[in-house]
Amino acid sequence: MTSTSAGSPAPGGPAAEPLMRLHRITKRFPGVVAVDDVSLDLAAGEIVALLGQNGAGKSTMIQIVAGVYGANTYDGDLTLGGEPYRPAGVIEAERGGVVLIPQQVSVVPEMTVGQNMFLNNEPTTRFGLVDWEGLYARARQVLADFGTDVDPRVRMGSLDLAAQQLVVIARALSADARLLILDEPTAALTENEAHRLFVHLRGLRARGVAIVYVSHRLAEVFAIADRVVVLRDGRLCGDHRTVDTTRDEVVRDMLGAGIPEPRQQYGGAAASPGEVALEVAGLSVRDPEDGDRVRVDMLDLTVRRGETVGVFGLVGSGTTPAAMAIFGAWPGRVDGTIRVDGRAVRINRPADAIAHGVGMIAPDRRRTLMLDHSVADNVVLASLRSLCRHGLLDPHARTLRAEEYVRRLNIRTPSVRAPVGTLSGGNQQKVQVARWLAAQTRTMLLVDPTHGVDVGARAEIYRLLRLLARQRYALLLVSAEAEELVAVCDRVLVLRAGRAVGELTGAGLTESNLLHLAAGD
Amino acid sequence: MTEPIPTATATPTALPAQTPHDDGPPDPPAARPAYGEKVEWRNYTLLLVLAVIWFVFQLLTDGLFLTQRNLGLLALQSTIVSLAAISAVMLIVTRNFDVSVGSAVALVGVVLAMLTVRAGWPVLPAILVAMLCAVLMGAWQGFWVARVGIPSFIVTLAGMLYFRGLSLIIPDGETIAPLPGALTNFATGYLTAAYSVILILLALGGYLAYQLRTVRRAVRLGLADDVRRPFARRAVPAIVAAAAGIYIGESIGIPLLVILLGVCTLVAELLMRRTRYGAKLYAIGGNPEAARLAGINVESAVFRNFLIAGVAYGITGIALTARVSGAVGGSAGLFLELDAIAAAIIGGTSLAGGRGRILGALLGALLMGSLNNGMSLMNVSTFYQETARGMVLLVAVAIDQLSRRRAA
Repeated sequence: MTSTSAGSPAPGGPAAEPLMRLHRITKRFPGVVAVDDVSLDLAAGEIVALLGQNGAGKSTMIQIVAGVYGANTYDGDLTLGGEPYRPAGVIEAERGGVVLIPQQVSVVPEMTVGQNMFLNNEPTTRFGLVDWEGLYARARQVLADFGTDVDPRVRMGSLDLAAQQLVVIARALSADARLLILDEPTAALTENEAHRLFVHLRGLRARGVAIVYVSHRLAEVFAIADRVVVLRDGRLCGDHRTVDTTRDEVVRDMLGAGIPEPRQQYGGAAASPGEVALEVAGLSVRDPEDGDRVRVDMLDLTVRRGETVGVFGLVGSGTTPAAMAIFGAWPGRVDGTIRVDGRAVRINRPADAIAHGVGMIAPDRRRTLMLDHSVADNVVLASLRSLCRHGLLDPHARTLRAEEYVRRLNIRTPSVRAPVGTLSGGNQQKVQVARWLAAQTRTMLLVDPTHGVDVGARAEIYRLLRLLARQRYALLLVSAEAEELVAVCDRVLVLRAGRAVGELTGAGLTESNLLHLAAGD
Repeated sequence: MTEPIPTATATPTALPAQTPHDDGPPDPPAARPAYGEKVEWRNYTLLLVLAVIWFVFQLLTDGLFLTQRNLGLLALQSTIVSLAAISAVMLIVTRNFDVSVGSAVALVGVVLAMLTVRAGWPVLPAILVAMLCAVLMGAWQGFWVARVGIPSFIVTLAGMLYFRGLSLIIPDGETIAPLPGALTNFATGYLTAAYSVILILLALGGYLAYQLRTVRRAVRLGLADDVRRPFARRAVPAIVAAAAGIYIGESIGIPLLVILLGVCTLVAELLMRRTRYGAKLYAIGGNPEAARLAGINVESAVFRNFLIAGVAYGITGIALTARVSGAVGGSAGLFLELDAIAAAIIGGTSLAGGRGRILGALLGALLMGSLNNGMSLMNVSTFYQETARGMVLLVAVAIDQLSRRRAA
């Protein structure tokens, strides 16, 4: 079957009719072209890896194919098996045999495997009651067809993540799927679990199913894919047969050539680093639900005053859990020692970290801001003590404090009384920074500080970080965006599967080096 | 040093330094509303509704409703619910509910009555022990909510059942009465008319002086342009309220329980608006995760929240029991928790947490009390009274939701 994919992907097209053909697809969002004039053929019995940096348009593209975006919301044509394919929604796409498995599969852990498989689609008896015997019989059949021996009567939550994923894929395939799209399926899997998944994917390929496989992990891509397609800024800029290309070539496609490293544009070199502000040794972080699952394994790191240290890793590599653990905000078990400004400290909860002068900009603003409350309330939240006069909070002092930081950080808001939820993402993020500046925490952990922030505000935040570094703040910047880390960090620690696998600094600190190291080359 | 953007060219040694605010207004952001400009129209809608209801009752009762005597009675009738509503606001602000209030209050009353009537204790130690029991009841429920992590609704639902049960078990189902005169006299007594007027004037004077100082300081700090307008906005409602109080109190005085309510309100308002603890409660209700990540000990704050609820059980229980001069385990405080929650919600407290004013809840309690009082004057059966109060609650919350949706 795989021989059908031998047709050249080069312009001119394969000899056989492709299963799915994308013709000049363009999708615009307000202010941005997410997918820009992409044409692509997908053949039956072929595994195509789709690569690209964050924001390259991968998600948008697969969502178009899977019917998440209706046929009238983008330009261009799709054909499926030679017929025009214009799905109005996901259900219609699935009926046509196109199935998307999202990155985080949604299951109801309290229900059985069988119940999950037939959720809202339960077979019924003549009297309109659920036909449980029929349901489990069909579930067992579907799972057996797929080649797994999972018992459909066990609780979904009792299975490991890979098995849950296999169940979801098996269910999706029960509808005679012809094109299976997997969005970073291995992000949450261990190496062994990933291998089990690959065995099944190869089995599907042998049955003639076309598979689109979105991933960041190059090693994996080269192990499983027949073809590698690269998107950059919404454009198709690389389409290679795996055997004909190299990782270097793929990385070059992803990054583009001749883009200057923007490192200097946000304020130039830091002052020479001072004494050690944060020292973490032997940090191990366990999953809160599964205590045997180690998310971060014996991590060591130091940040000096005036230094910006980056932590880079792909999804699931443990970078965010590490930062949460240092701040005392991780729900699972944490081991290791932390020293702040030379003193060994115990940090069991965020209040401990703050008491030692450590603040954290968390990954999700909805978790750290009180969106209905005013800018002022949000700015002063961690520094209430200093606003008291004669033991009572002084509302004037609060307003002044908030206005001071609104001015200093150039936060654009109609007034400090405006609900913070009405501000733009970049300004909300600056409110978070203001909170910690007001609390005088001189060591800051920043997790994806530019998540969901537009380009202009992004540059402003980078400048702010450089400025803080020059003022002897110690910054630990956790990010999944290589470009950002190269732009503002003095050195970057790279994590892979919870372990530190290297540190890049100076001339070696480039996006491509980061990506290579994180992907395991 | 007014450089607004920390740019690469800014001084590398400090963020733009703190502007010295005390020597004049430091160019405020262009669109900043003047100090106190934001008027809570919602509270005024509630006042308007109250005025309409009073006007209608005045017509329907041939002028009986707005008499000094009846308004004094109305204030007294609303006191118990108001006391309970204060703690309801504090709990709902942190997304917690207490449905055990009525039973807890009954149990406190039984303790007080057992000690004074059956055991013959003097009044003061009995009150102290009853308060202690009340605080322990609050601590007990707070333990299960804050330390064990059981939803407050469940914990207090259970409490509602066993507090009520205990208040029947302890006196073996009997009514314990009458209470010593000292207690009864306080609960039914009035401050003499002359002292009442003096007290009201003193309170008004103190409030106006405090507001004048606050507004002046705002002007000095550059937060307000002039003293008159923001001061007038605060002074006028206070003067109107004081005038109403004097009108009601000038013949027979103010009920002592209403003064107790005033003191409790003042303390609670200070706690919620002017202490770190209050700010933490609002933050926890607004976003518990954000509060935790900002270093707030959420469990401890919620536990203390229930301790305060315990204090409220004590004060409310003693006041209620003294007012009726006896403890009736089976029926005392029945549905008080629901009235308290309803008052809080009518007064603008958000069920989603993070928002709510004590004064609003008092208005809510007054509104519901007015309905009861007015309908009683008209000899409407209690069946209809219940129905009407239910409808008012629904309509009040609906108006609140709709107005907020339009604002958003």
